Amino acid sequence: MTDTDNVLKVENLKINFFTRKGTVYAVDDISFTLKKGETLGLVGESGCGKTTTVLGLMKMVPTPGEITGGRILIGGKDIVPLSEDEMRKKVRWGKASMVFQGAMNCLTPVYTIEKQMMETIQEHKQMEYFKAKNIIINYLNLVGLPEEIIRRYPHELSGGMKQRVVIATALFLEPKIVICDEPTTALDVVVQAQIINLIKRLKKKLGLSVIFITHDLATEAEVADRLLVMYAGKLAEIGTNEQIYGKGGPIHPYTKKLLKATPRLHEKVEELSFIPGTPPDLVDPPSGCRFHPRCSEVMERCKKDEPPLIKVEPEHWIACWRNHHE
Amino acid sequence: MKWIDIKAGFRDFWDEFKRVRFGLFGLILLFIFILTVFINPYIVPFPEASSRWRDITYWEDNPVSAPPVWVNWFSSTKRAPSLILKEHDFSEEKMGKIKLARAVFEYEYPYDLPPLDVIFHGYAKGSPVIMLSIERPDGQIVELVRRPISKSDGKDVRVSIGKDSRIESYNFGVKYEKPESNRIEREMVKPTSILFSEAKEGILVHPAPLKGVYKLIIEIILPAENDAVEDIYFTFSGGVSGWLGTDSSKRDIWSGVVAGVKWALLIGLLTAFTAVSIGVIYGVISAYLGGWKDSLMQRIFELFIGVPLLPVLIVMSAIFKPNIWIMILMMSCFFWVGPVKTVRSMGLQIKEETYIEAARAFGASSSRIIFKHMIPLLIPYSFASMALYVPSAIVYEASISLLGLGDSTIVTWGQILHDALTGGAVINGLWWWVIPPGLFIALMGMTFAFIGFAMDKILHPKLRTR
Amino acid sequence: MSEPILKIENLKEWFPVRRTIAQLLKGEQIWVKAVDGITFDINQGEIFGLVGESGCGKTTTGKLLMKLLEPTDGKIMFKGKDVTHLEANKLKEYRRNVQMVFQDPYASMNPRFRAQDVLEEPLIIHQVGETRAEREKIVRRSLEEVRLIPPEEFMGRFPHMLSGGQRQRVATARTLVLSPSMIVADEPVSMIDLSTRAEILHMMKTVQRELGLTYLYITHDLSTARYFTDRIAVMYLGKIVELASADEVIDNALHPYTKALIAAVCEPVSGKSNTGRSYL
Ligand SMILES: Nc1ncnc2c1ncn2[C@@H]1O[C@H](COP(=O)(O)OP(=O)(O)OP(=O)(O)O)[C@@H](O)[C@H]1O
Ligand SMILES: Nc1ncnc2c1ncn2[C@@H]1O[C@H](COP(=O)(O)OP(=O)(O)O)[C@@H](O)[C@H]1O
Ligand code: SF4
Ligand SMILES: [Mg+2]
Ligand SMILES: [Mg+2]
Repeated sequence: MTDTDNVLKVENLKINFFTRKGTVYAVDDISFTLKKGETLGLVGESGCGKTTTVLGLMKMVPTPGEITGGRILIGGKDIVPLSEDEMRKKVRWGKASMVFQGAMNCLTPVYTIEKQMMETIQEHKQMEYFKAKNIIINYLNLVGLPEEIIRRYPHELSGGMKQRVVIATALFLEPKIVICDEPTTALDVVVQAQIINLIKRLKKKLGLSVIFITHDLATEAEVADRLLVMYAGKLAEIGTNEQIYGKGGPIHPYTKKLLKATPRLHEKVEELSFIPGTPPDLVDPPSGCRFHPRCSEVMERCKKDEPPLIKVEPEHWIACWRNHHE
Repeated sequence: MKWIDIKAGFRDFWDEFKRVRFGLFGLILLFIFILTVFINPYIVPFPEASSRWRDITYWEDNPVSAPPVWVNWFSSTKRAPSLILKEHDFSEEKMGKIKLARAVFEYEYPYDLPPLDVIFHGYAKGSPVIMLSIERPDGQIVELVRRPISKSDGKDVRVSIGKDSRIESYNFGVKYEKPESNRIEREMVKPTSILFSEAKEGILVHPAPLKGVYKLIIEIILPAENDAVEDIYFTFSGGVSGWLGTDSSKRDIWSGVVAGVKWALLIGLLTAFTAVSIGVIYGVISAYLGGWKDSLMQRIFELFIGVPLLPVLIVMSAIFKPNIWIMILMMSCFFWVGPVKTVRSMGLQIKEETYIEAARAFGASSSRIIFKHMIPLLIPYSFASMALYVPSAIVYEASISLLGLGDSTIVTWGQILHDALTGGAVINGLWWWVIPPGLFIALMGMTFAFIGFAMDKILHPKLRTR
Repeated sequence: MSEPILKIENLKEWFPVRRTIAQLLKGEQIWVKAVDGITFDINQGEIFGLVGESGCGKTTTGKLLMKLLEPTDGKIMFKGKDVTHLEANKLKEYRRNVQMVFQDPYASMNPRFRAQDVLEEPLIIHQVGETRAEREKIVRRSLEEVRLIPPEEFMGRFPHMLSGGQRQRVATARTLVLSPSMIVADEPVSMIDLSTRAEILHMMKTVQRELGLTYLYITHDLSTARYFTDRIAVMYLGKIVELASADEVIDNALHPYTKALIAAVCEPVSGKSNTGRSYL
């Protein structure tokens, strides 16, 4: 795999929030690549740094957050040193766009769909009104919405329709990378399935590379070609769909537990398993392996030393001492 | 809501408030206003101005329509300012049963125009005789008044040089004039103008000031053992008087304006508090009840909105001649409509919150939901709008007072303005009578407007994100 | 399972739609038939699941049972008594017996109330517990029941200081303070992280067994419903289209809608992707 196949390459990215309580190490030294035409899943419990990572990719980390290290290469060019203005003109929406977490609930209630979408277009590119309107209608059709929707207000749309509008908005300027942050959370199963299918279809049709975030491993099984499992600001495991969900199953104890906690419809179990406790406070993460206080396979070494991310087979990386064979 | 919650809330609020520059400025102004209420007696010459504003005896010693003292700074002819002189040398001599007391007051006179009057005050017991004379810088002593006091257990004595020594001072002055100037009427010459001028020709017609130290000498004959004259002092009614001059009824405007601060704060804050409380509760209830009750309450509200406020207040004031409390009540009765609309729409939003529904599901009564769950959320907004109603209340009270319909037992800025207009301040150019109360009304309004806007600015983004 | 604790007969809730002037003149009235004639029984000590996609009327059904809405038509019988229309004091009594856990744990608690105030509120409303200390004892016990241990640590916290899971526990504890016999749980875990979802459901089930409660569990997620419930009613456009035991509904679905619903559920299994699932 050469570098040219990687539309996005992240190297040693670090993002901190400098809060009153102390520094939150929200994203702590993570590296990964996004290949051309693939869907990369990013999973983890809430608060483990998924949103922060992708906001970092768009250089939109909210204050008091900052990218404190690492490189983000889009098409081989590092965007970390770019100014806000350059980001807006050259990268955001043009090269990579994002469906923000909860964006469908953040549509301004007093604007029509047309007005909201028009604003986004015009913020990123000068365009005359009718041309922009044409684009809007095209993309609404593309996500399966009728044209008449542009005159409606957000509250007149269902959750699924709103999510489609948000996805259409992200596609305007024909980016090659689309990041979807929890696009299916808080939607019902039926609508979830619709949105998943829509994203799959768009990916094929427009040749997109997608980063798909969720905390639901079952959804990822459906969409992701490759999977990043994140825990407490670090990557725990990277693997292909087959490696994680196939016969061998995941290797990292966290992924295993996460998978076990995911209910399966066609298996009747008496007790669903869960991961006791909550993800750690990232102001003061645990020493050694960050998962060790909740890990059932913990060893002495885990408490002291941080496990490095190592390759166990092609495309399959994990950070765990259990499977570390020197 | 617990106390700690409120404390934390206020701390956060304060952290943000500090950053709004004009809000801080407003707060400083408010602090100064409140401070003046407390230190009132120490910063005004007439601390009873509020209660005795219409008592002419309280203002007797003041000059009529005198400009402020600082006018001297900009004028080439310096006028003697109003003054109270208490410091004196005192000596007593016994001659058998009779005592002879002597008090000497030194008065420094570096001005071009003399005081309008110099008045002696004392408290006499028994039947003393008071003699008043003046020793001029040129060494001449003029005997001015000899006043026997009728026997009493104690009474105030007031001797005005201006009134009681016309003959003596005229006689002193006339010596220096050419004989033909005898024609000058005695009544036309002010005693003080003779006494404080150089002893030479023209003393009656074109007096030249005699600058230097004057001695005002009081000699008292005390015939009986227990006779006494106590608390003696002089007041000078100057050509300029006090920080803000005097009005045509001799009242010290600075004292009046400072006394008005208290009333303005009271009127403003109490009206705003009552009105906003009523309005907020009304709005929330209307929003919560919904349906026809809401519609009815909105119609009533619109009725009140439609009332032309000022005319109605004026008519009511003319009929009822209200005191200040009734006036506050009257204004509250109309002001409450202000916050209703906003509160209602906020209430409609809060009402849809799930936790309101949850409370209903637990069987909470309407009043519990309104007062425990909804109104606490509106408290910040209420404070902000209160701050914005304070100025209106002050202006309305002033407008009513301006028409002479105010509470006559107190002094407000509006009343001072009213007196100024009816007293011909504008025609006679007595600007110091008109500008200060107007300025204070504006300043107080600005204070609360600043605070209100600052609060609004901080609270509104929060309300939106809620 | 004994006799039904709750019987619903032909229950309807129609909401009038705001009319246009033309419709007003013609005298037409259009209705949104949120719940359109549903009938079912819930047995004492049972967990009854109500499943369907969003907008099909699940929450409305829950609110009808909570008496937060007045039914347009139909009958609700609770413990053999007709509770369809109740006056104020009877209603209060009824609400002691039937409690609700709301869908969104972030919105169902007043952000200005501490956990303790949240739990104390129903007690104050129903005048349970003479003194504050007495009420505090009940609050403590309920917190322990939902496994927020030690209770002291959580009593002083505001909702924003609790994680989603912890909030939903507090919300459950709130329903328990009055010792109700039935709890309506409206999507109690849909806003909660997957890793803790099972934990909350497990806790709810334990509480249910310990206290002999009856649950109406409302959800759009068949996979948790299968684990959590005894019987499932599938709802579609205000009507119940299928009702059977949980296993029966999922393994041998008869109604096409139920089949579609099952097909929409993602499974954490490789190879299923790219097959192109059917969706509604
Ligand atoms: N402001 C706070 N003060 C004290 N403790 C807090 C505060 N906020 C969170 N906590 C505690 O930190 C832990 C994690 O909370 P957090 O809200 O980050 O969870 P989360 O990952 O968002 O949960 P969920 O997955 O349910 O959304 C919990 O024990 C919670 O009680
Ligand atoms: N604006 C912020 N200020 C401070 N900390 C933040 C902020 N946004 C996120 N964080 C912290 O960064 C970490 C990762 O958060 P996030 O990326 O939102 O997680 P996820 O998307 O995986 O749920 C968390 O510990 C969170 O508390
Ligand atoms: S390194 Fe140790 S603690 Fe961390 S996941 Fe592996 S076994 Fe568990
Ligand atoms: Mg997130
Ligand atoms: Mg619902």
